[in-house]
Amino acid sequence: MWGTGFFKGLGFILKQLKEKKITSQYPDEPVIMPDRFRGIQHFIPEKCIVCNQCAKICPTGCITLTGKPNPDPEKKGKVIDTYDINFELCILCDLCTEVCPTDAIVMTNNFELATYTRDNTLKDRIWLDKNNINVREENH
Amino acid sequence: MAELLSQPFSWLNLIIMVSAGVVVLGVVLVFVMYAIYFERKVIGWMQLRNGPNRVGPWGLFQTVADVLKLMIKEDIVPAKADRFLFLIAPIIAYTPAFAIIAVIPFSENVFFADVNVGILYYGALSSISITGILLGGWASNNKYAIMGGMRSVAQMVSYEVPLIMSFLGVVLLTGSLNMKDIVAAQQDGMWFIIPQFLGFVIFLIAGNAELNRTPFDLPEAENELVAGYFVEYSGFRFAFFMLSEYVYIFALSSVMTVMFLGGWDAPFGLTFIPGGVWFALKFLLLVFYLFWARATFPRVKTQQLMGFAWKVLIPLALFNVMITALFKTISQAG
Repeated sequence: MWGTGFFKGLGFILKQLKEKKITSQYPDEPVIMPDRFRGIQHFIPEKCIVCNQCAKICPTGCITLTGKPNPDPEKKGKVIDTYDINFELCILCDLCTEVCPTDAIVMTNNFELATYTRDNTLKDRIWLDKNNINVREENH
Repeated sequence: MAELLSQPFSWLNLIIMVSAGVVVLGVVLVFVMYAIYFERKVIGWMQLRNGPNRVGPWGLFQTVADVLKLMIKEDIVPAKADRFLFLIAPIIAYTPAFAIIAVIPFSENVFFADVNVGILYYGALSSISITGILLGGWASNNKYAIMGGMRSVAQMVSYEVPLIMSFLGVVLLTGSLNMKDIVAAQQDGMWFIIPQFLGFVIFLIAGNAELNRTPFDLPEAENELVAGYFVEYSGFRFAFFMLSEYVYIFALSSVMTVMFLGGWDAPFGLTFIPGGVWFALKFLLLVFYLFWARATFPRVKTQQLMGFAWKVLIPLALFNVMITALFKTISQAG
């Protein structure tokens, strides 16, 4: 019959009042990301061999690093001195972690990166080293 | 209130009247603020969301913050606009909306003007707001605004006819245009929603269209006309248009409560609850219906809208008037 749809619609909408809300309370409750989510990197200075591959592969050129000779005269090679990721530029493409031969740089699930100034987006070696929670299990 | 109106003029009476007006304005403003909050909350729940919940406890201060924002915003007048008309249009739209409240009785003792032609006054003044809307649309010098304004006028003039005609059944039954007499007639007999059910339905639909609300929100039509006739308005003048819209919700729901739901009349003899509470309950039920309809129905098309008014609602309203007159004549003869 013509017109019954109005009441059907009104009744359906009224029933929605008691339904469970489908929205997530994001800032109050954290969002759990899937395992392979690409968040900001975690850097382990001890593992780094200063091969420079991450800086070379980076499509946006956001990684700058410098090495210094190994303080232990017995050992050859270099150790990392400074390691900066300019997070204004980083596109989280995951290439630096794929290319790293020693897994010195790995991805984490952290994505809460909003800051008030652009200066805070430059992440240095110390910050990246401390960023050691929610490190991604599977890196390749 | 009634004895105050019949007293001779004195400065004290003037002060009392003016302060009563200010109190009503305050009540209306608070109603508008919390009607918007209530609307957003209810529609949020209906759409499985939470609605505003950030400002204050349960988001209670959200609309207060919104109003404050509108107050301190810059009042922009477009360069090519008709400046004078642009500036007075919101005032023309709002003044009748507020003036309507004068004739609505809220309970036995709380009313502001005991006008013998209260319903006529309501019908006449609510049409004046259309002028403000059209002027606002035209003076903005904007295509969206003029289209919104034209649609609004076409729609409101069309729906005014069935709206006024749906009054007539009640007026025939009561023999009075006075809102207090109408409530008194319902206190003696039954609420007019039962004998005048058709009239009630017509009033509900035509009233929804008069308010320019979904599903009849073609004048505003957010997704095609941006905001319709007030697209160029900002700050305080925008607030005035919004205010007049929500004051019309207040006025229309009050009039509907008075005419069809028995005003402050207590149902089932529950007279220990004061009449004002009953009025508020019935009134809130109707306001809730408006929000409920907004969450349910999609917007109608222009040709459907006009066809519905002239081909369905007006014949039905005429039929309702005829049937009511017939029954009244038969019952008086018999």
